[in-house]
This record gives sequence, structure tokens and C-alpha cells, in this order.
Amino acid sequence: MLQKPESGALPSPQAEGEKDGSRDGETQTLTASQKEVPSPFLQESPNEDLGARREEGATASSLTPKGARTLAAKALARRRAYRRLDRTVAELVQFLLVKDKKKSPITRSEMVKYVIGDLKDLFPEIIARAAEHLRYVFGFELKQFGRKHHTYILVNKHKPLEEEEEEVEEEDLGGDGPRLGLLIMILGLIYMKGNSARETQVWEMLRRLGVRPSKYHFLFGYPKRLIMEDFVQQRYLNYRQVPHTNPPECEFSWGPRSNLEISKMKVLGFVAKLHKKEPQHWPVQYREALADEADRARAKARAEASMRARARARARATDRAGIYPW
Amino acid sequence: MTDVHRRFLQLLMTHGVLEEWDVRRLQKHCYRVHDRTAAVEELEDFINNINSVLESLYIEIKKGATEDDGRPVYALVNLATTSVSKMASDFAENELDLFRKALELIIDSETGFASSTNILNLVDQLKGKKMRKKEAEQVLQKFVQNKWLIEKEGEFTLHSRAILEMEQYIRETYPDAVKICNICHSLLIQGQSCETCGIRMHLPCVAKYFQSNSEPRCPHCNDYWPHEIPEVFDPEKEREAATSRATKRSLRSRQH
Repeated sequence: MLQKPESGALPSPQAEGEKDGSRDGETQTLTASQKEVPSPFLQESPNEDLGARREEGATASSLTPKGARTLAAKALARRRAYRRLDRTVAELVQFLLVKDKKKSPITRSEMVKYVIGDLKDLFPEIIARAAEHLRYVFGFELKQFGRKHHTYILVNKHKPLEEEEEEVEEEDLGGDGPRLGLLIMILGLIYMKGNSARETQVWEMLRRLGVRPSKYHFLFGYPKRLIMEDFVQQRYLNYRQVPHTNPPECEFSWGPRSNLEISKMKVLGFVAKLHKKEPQHWPVQYREALADEADRARAKARAEASMRARARARARATDRAGIYPW
Repeated sequence: MTDVHRRFLQLLMTHGVLEEWDVRRLQKHCYRVHDRTAAVEELEDFINNINSVLESLYIEIKKGATEDDGRPVYALVNLATTSVSKMASDFAENELDLFRKALELIIDSETGFASSTNILNLVDQLKGKKMRKKEAEQVLQKFVQNKWLIEKEGEFTLHSRAILEMEQYIRETYPDAVKICNICHSLLIQGQSCETCGIRMHLPCVAKYFQSNSEPRCPHCNDYWPHEIPEVFDPEKEREAATSRATKRSLRSRQH
């Protein structure tokens, strides 16, 4: 049967007030934004405690058999509740992993509908613990974005868009090298054109590379579908109609996932290499990229500080419970 | 749990199921990317270490073998399966039902294979949106591409991934129809059976059990074993074949 470490006490989530720095006001690391929810499962409600104490008090030094049975029943119910919570967290982790394979963002309502069900009130606790598992076990960051912050994506800590000497190996092993290369070319064009590029400009650049929208390409499949559907759905690109254009024109800009997985400096570096020049050759873009790097460094420092604080709090709690093996 | 382990997990998940030779290559790749200086841990220990962390998530890296020639395979599986859960988010309701129908036919069959015709004839009974036979053919191909089914000459059986992933679910859902191997006591889809007493064995289990036995007899009723005894899987021969495959592949990809 399944061996599962029985947990005595659960580390309760620390609700820090600070927010992780958002890249463009849209995204937020899922660490500190959840308010602590008083949950019947995790914290002894004051009434329960009083009840137990009252019973103990009433029977002088030792518990009556009835009192002992009630306490035991309560303890059993609590253990069952913890197990149920653990199971739900595990299911949510699996759900997020499976959904993320298709790179489409996952909404809070989907999670509640398919996984969380009537533990809906514990959503903040459940998702925080799921995020921790995803980070520690798989190396994924669970990021929130969207105007109401109810949409989530998984970002690979191992930065798949970066160049790797091992790229060829990973292609054999299932990476998406060529498609991401195409994406970086488009991101580069968008950046150099001032953070947005008209659809016609994108197709013009690709035509020069021998890529036509509806002609099957042995590396990219159907480019039009890849760019207009896949990349947009995966939030690598934003696509919108430019207002006041007649005939109506559309433009691309960086999507929130691109901002999370790659930086302006890296893309500028890629463009520079392509033209066999230095990034400084484009002073406007270079300055913008430097400012972007500074923002990211600040955001990273803030995130690390809050992680350390949480790790300290968790260490205090798990010293007693001994849950994680690290 | 280090980045080496995390990268390994991510890549294993991407593939769904991998043969042992590829798993070793994957492991070495992860060390190269994240920790060149460290010694590559013995695969079994490496996987056990990861599994001890995965325990609290009710998943594990499980090792199995292909039913036709006994090649060791690895997959990341749910331990607490309530249904065909990993497929549930990739496929629509009627597609999942088609899989379930195919699964039932496969389990009920004598050979472990269900013919395309028999599966497609059940298309009218599917839950959810109405599916035409043409569509169903494509859905079956999707199952093959995603490594849930294997196709051989117009007939379908379960991929080792599906067996690893769904064994518990299958045993719980079809307790009467399910077949078990007499040697390893795991779920059996394809195999050989004794014509006298009816016990069944996986082909690789047959190979191991009757290895260098000139007069194979049924372990249960001692009657002559009437079938051809397959060869035991040899990883060395496999590695030679795979190396030449990989060399050809990388030469091709570097040619443009």
C-alpha cells in the first residue's frame, strides 16, 4: 500500500504583504499575494480548543472514557482532513503539469471545477502548497497574471529560450528548438521596432527567410497556425488590432510569457549577433535593455528575500513535523 | 533534489515513456547541463532518490517492460489513479470514451489486440458529441502518437505507457476480465497461454523462465509448453543498434 509520511502539524502559510515586482504590471510571482485564510482544517478553532479544555477541566486530572473518545475522534477527523488536503494538493500539481504541457494558461475556475471542488475556500492554501511542490520538485515557477490575477502559467526555471550548447541533444530528447528560434526572431523584430511590429512586417521578415504563412514548413509546420494560434495562445505573443487604421491592421507585441522567460537584453544580444555587431550599436534599444535588466535584478532580489523569509518560517514549523526530506 | 533531478523529471514528463537506453542518455545529459563535475549516480539509486521526493505527490517513476520483447521502459505514473486521469485533459469526452471502448475490447480479447473494425463499430455508443468513423480513425492515430496505443497491422493493443499508467485502474475496473501473468503477477495484455490449464505468461517472462531449457513445460500443469520461446532481451545488442540509429539521426539533422 501507499506509504505516506504522516504529518502531525502543517506549516501554515506566511502572508507577507509585499508583492513580487511585476514586469509590466501584469504578472506576479505566486508567493505573497494570498491572504491567510482561517481554515477549519489547519488551525484549531478557538472553540474547539476551549471545548477540549473544558472537558479536561470538568474531569479533574484524567479524561473520562467519553472525553478520550471524543478527542480521539476529533484527532482522527483532523488527520483525515489533512490527508484529503494533501491529496488535493497532489492532484492540483498533476493537473497543472498536464495542462501546462499544452502551454495554455489555466484559470482558477478550471482548477476549482476539476480538482478542488468543495475545498474551494482553501484555494489559497492549496495553490501555495502546489506552487511550492512545483518549484522544489520540478523546477517550475507558478506565475499569476491577468487583470483579475486568476490566470496562471508555469514558467521553467531552466529558461528554455536561452541558447544552450546542448540544444541539439535536447532536440533529440524532445525540445522545440526550431520553433523557439522562430519565436526569438519575431521577438527581436518586435523589440527593434519599438516593442510592437505590424503583422505585415513580421510576414515580410519571414518571407525573406523562406517562410510563408500557409505553406507547410518542415521545421515549423504551418507557420500561420504556429504564430497566430499557438504562440498567441501560449502567451508568447500578443496580437491586437491597431485602432484607427483603415484598412484595419494588426500588430504583435511581446506576450507575458516572453517577458517571463527571456529578457530584452538577451534578445538584443541575439539580434546583434545576427548582424555581427555589438548591442551598443543600437543605443536606444541598448538603454532600454539596461533599464529592463535593472528592473529584473530588483524583482529577483525581492523574490529571494521573501523566499528566505518563508524558508525560515517553514524550517521553524517543520522542525516539529519533519515533513520535507531536505 | 537538485537541478539535475528536476531537469530529468521535466524531460521524462515530456516524453511520457522512455526506454532504458534513452533514460540513461537523458540522465547523462542532465548532469552535463547542470553539474559537470559530479559523478553520474547509478540509475536505480538516482530514480529511487527522485521517487522518495515524489511520494508526497502520489506519483512515481515506474519501471516496466514492453510486452512484446521485454525492453525496459520508464514512465512517470500516478499512484492514486481514479480514472484515465492523465489522458483526461488532452482528450474530449467522446475521445476518452472511444479509448475506454478500445480498452475493453483489448482486455476481453484472446490475443490482447482489438481490430480497428471492431473498435470503429462502437462509434455510435460513445458518450458526448457524435463521432463519425473517419474521425474515430484519426482519434485512434492520436492515441498511437501519444503512446497510449500501439498499432500492428490494423489491430490495436495497449502501449507499455498505458499499462504502466493504468494497471491499477484496469485491475480495479475489470477484475473479472483482466489477465495476469503467472510468473510476475502483473497485468497481462499480450502473452502466451498454456493450452491445457489456461495460465498465461508475458513473452519476456516466458523467455526468462524457459531460458536454456530444452524441454519447456507449463509451470502449473507440467504439460509441454506448445509455443516458440522468445529470446531474452539483451541490452548490449540493443545499445549497438541504438548507437547506429542515433549517429544516422544526428548526421541527418546537421546536414542543413
